[in-house]
Amino acid sequence: MPERTVTVASSVGLHARPASLFSQAAAKAGVPVTLTSAAGKSVNAASILGVLSLGIGHGEVVTISAEGDDAETALDGLAEMLNTDLDKE
Amino acid sequence: MSDETAPALTALLAEESIRLDEKADDKEDAIRQVGAALLQAGAIDASYIDAMLERERSVSTFVGEGVAIPHGTLAGKDSVKKDALVVLRFPDGVDWDGNDVRVCVGIAARGNGHIALLAQLATVLLDPDRAAALRAATTSDEVYELLKPDPEDE
Repeated sequence: MPERTVTVASSVGLHARPASLFSQAAAKAGVPVTLTSAAGKSVNAASILGVLSLGIGHGEVVTISAEGDDAETALDGLAEMLNTDLDKE
Repeated sequence: MSDETAPALTALLAEESIRLDEKADDKEDAIRQVGAALLQAGAIDASYIDAMLERERSVSTFVGEGVAIPHGTLAGKDSVKKDALVVLRFPDGVDWDGNDVRVCVGIAARGNGHIALLAQLATVLLDPDRAAALRAATTSDEVYELLKPDPEDE
């Protein structure tokens, strides 16, 4: 299954605004996206509660994975989001 | 996630910070009430309430399951005197950008404390039965019971 391993760049970690923007983007990806923490816990990336439940801080490494025709494109876009400080925009 | 260092949600929630029969005209009114409860708990300076409203303008804190989690921006951190939670229940609902919010969990946290708090709270709300019970809670004992750490999550 296509996947990307990314370091979370947002200074506040993956919560609040960055978590909302990320899960909204995952929901629009067209394919189901899974977010997995370094500790190995996986959630539906499109669920804000799921994303928040992982408690991912700044600089933590996460993996996103997806299956389907558009998986590669979707993962590229989502990985770029995670690589960006989403709280600054 | 370093759960072992995070305080339990219930340890940060004073009984007088649980208000289960509130009414709000709109989202901003609800956030101001949440802020007032945090202020009365001695957790924040009044300027934190503006930071909460600013956060909400930047992005909605609605998280699903009829729950919103108003909290301040990073810039509002200096207004936090101690970590605390408040729970306000609005039985008639509050229109939150088209979403029906029944419960607001207000959060004040210094440093990165909010990440662990939000993770615990989200874990509770991911269980639809616990989320529904929180929306329907009428006593503070029920709220404490629902927010208690679940041993199965460890």
